[in-house]
Amino acid sequence: MSRLKQLSKFKLTLSVLTIGLLFLPFVTDSRSMLIMLTKIFIFAVFAMSYDLLLGYTGIVSFGHAMFFGIGAYTVAICLKAFGPSIPVLLLAVVITIIFTAIVSFLVGLLTLRLKAHFFAMLTLAVAALFLVAAEKWRSLTMGNDGFTFVIPEILRDRVTFYIVALVFMVIVFLFLERFTQSPMGRVLQAIRENEPRVESLGYRVMHYKITANVIAGVVAGLAGILYAMSLRFVNTAVFATELTLDALLITIIGGVGTLFGAIVGAALIEYARHGLMDLASVHWIFERWVILLGTVFILVVMFFPKGIVGTTQSWWVKRQMNKVNKLKPKPPAKNKNFTQDVG
Amino acid sequence: MEMLINITVNGLATGMLIFLLAAGLTLIFGLMDVLNFAHGALFLWGAYAGIWVYTSSGSFLIGIIAAIITCCILGYLLERFIVKPVYGNHIQQILITLGAMLVLSELVKVVWGPNIIHARAPEWLRGSWEIGDIFFIKYRIFIIFVGLLVFGSLLFLLNRTKLGLVVRAGVMDKEMVQALGINIRKVFLFVFILGAGMAGLGGMLFGPYSGVIYAEIGLEYGILAFIVVVIGGMGSVLGSMIAALMVGLLGSYAAYFLPEIALAVNFLLMLAILIFKPSGIMGMKEALK
Repeated sequence: MSRLKQLSKFKLTLSVLTIGLLFLPFVTDSRSMLIMLTKIFIFAVFAMSYDLLLGYTGIVSFGHAMFFGIGAYTVAICLKAFGPSIPVLLLAVVITIIFTAIVSFLVGLLTLRLKAHFFAMLTLAVAALFLVAAEKWRSLTMGNDGFTFVIPEILRDRVTFYIVALVFMVIVFLFLERFTQSPMGRVLQAIRENEPRVESLGYRVMHYKITANVIAGVVAGLAGILYAMSLRFVNTAVFATELTLDALLITIIGGVGTLFGAIVGAALIEYARHGLMDLASVHWIFERWVILLGTVFILVVMFFPKGIVGTTQSWWVKRQMNKVNKLKPKPPAKNKNFTQDVG
Repeated sequence: MEMLINITVNGLATGMLIFLLAAGLTLIFGLMDVLNFAHGALFLWGAYAGIWVYTSSGSFLIGIIAAIITCCILGYLLERFIVKPVYGNHIQQILITLGAMLVLSELVKVVWGPNIIHARAPEWLRGSWEIGDIFFIKYRIFIIFVGLLVFGSLLFLLNRTKLGLVVRAGVMDKEMVQALGINIRKVFLFVFILGAGMAGLGGMLFGPYSGVIYAEIGLEYGILAFIVVVIGGMGSVLGSMIAALMVGLLGSYAAYFLPEIALAVNFLLMLAILIFKPSGIMGMKEALK
């Protein structure tokens, strides 16, 4: 009963927060605030898809940016080639889903049978191939120079786009929450904890891992679409290793194995970057914000493997346990028994 | 004909640089099952520290020694404070050495600034020798010579010394070695520092070879080293040498004949090896679970 009560409280808090964020654009006229929050929403989705692999399945991928990049380039190329309209946008979404599903399926098929180290390296290699392809295929991608494109009329308004990004994040969160709580999600978590045992229980481990890889890839691709549209520009940076490292950083610090942690992590890191960039005018050391975040990353991996949300959850559970223990009746004093026996 | 020879020499020199980076990586990986993603950062620090001392003192040899010492110290610190706490947990190892890579790469910019630094070969290694109608660039021959020297020394160490015997046995079965009463952790620390020193040497030699050094070479060459470890098979120094030469030569030929795919050939080679022979050319351990 108290468990359900806590869960309801948490969901209620999240709902209120979401509604608050929905009305934010009408309360503040800060354009940079809207832009930053939009970026946070997009990277939260990207990190959630990464968390599905790292936190729930126990897979470290260094090539997650390839899916993000596929989404970004697909929408940019479609809108540029066929004109900025909603039907073309929907076409780009469909193409992205199909393409990222195929790529993540094939990559998973080839690499998920390998040990953790090899999978990490190989996904790095495959993502690098996509980066090279984008660089060299200039007729389609304009290489590192990139190109700008026009987005549909209705989405050019920053407030509208902000709301779309927020709703998208909420939908993805709910979908992945549903997925991770499903029987399949439970199996994935079991794989993370002890893969050989799951195998011996009769589950087809490869099937589950590839499925997780495909879902993660598709979600990352969709995040890439929003990212390209928010910038209205695309270049090979969307395939860069730095993007995957961003997702990794957000996931680890925010809380591995918790979807909400990806949102918290995205917000913290974007604000940290923004703040450190501002401080760069005070002292040049702040320009090197990667050092600070990298150090935090190392410390979190070493001492707080569950990250912010994971650690908070553990602490909360402990607190609840203590509270319950206090209500138990004390056992009768032994002295009495002894005295009575003597009497 | 002359062009082919030049391309080959260039490829061999590049291969030697990658070998210096990959040899340590493969021993570390093979011995303790730890893949050090920060290895590329040691290469980077070797380049910067070495070039700095070289330009300050004017002596190339002192620069080389400084690069090796710097990276041995960094290697010790990395193993003691970063790697040691996460033994046995592959995911944490990957994550934490990656974090170290990020921090070390950025620290280089703090110490030496974000700009590209120029590096030149010393007087006695500039220019070229002429044999018949063919010119041999001195510095590239020097790199090949140093690479072979290190390779020979490594083979001697591994095959002719007691320590080498322990390392080779540890690569095959570290539990058995520990059961026999040998402290595998201390051997590993030595191997880690040795690998770091070789990475530093490679970085220092890379500077004058390339002409410039910049913060991103750590990740770039780190990736090449990973490719070489996969192709050659983990734990095998001979495999690393063969694979490094393959990667160097393949990259060199591709850059000349097929520049469009030059960047991709090494990745394709690694993909092919992992698909058809997961343990690599000389591998003793399987990549498959």
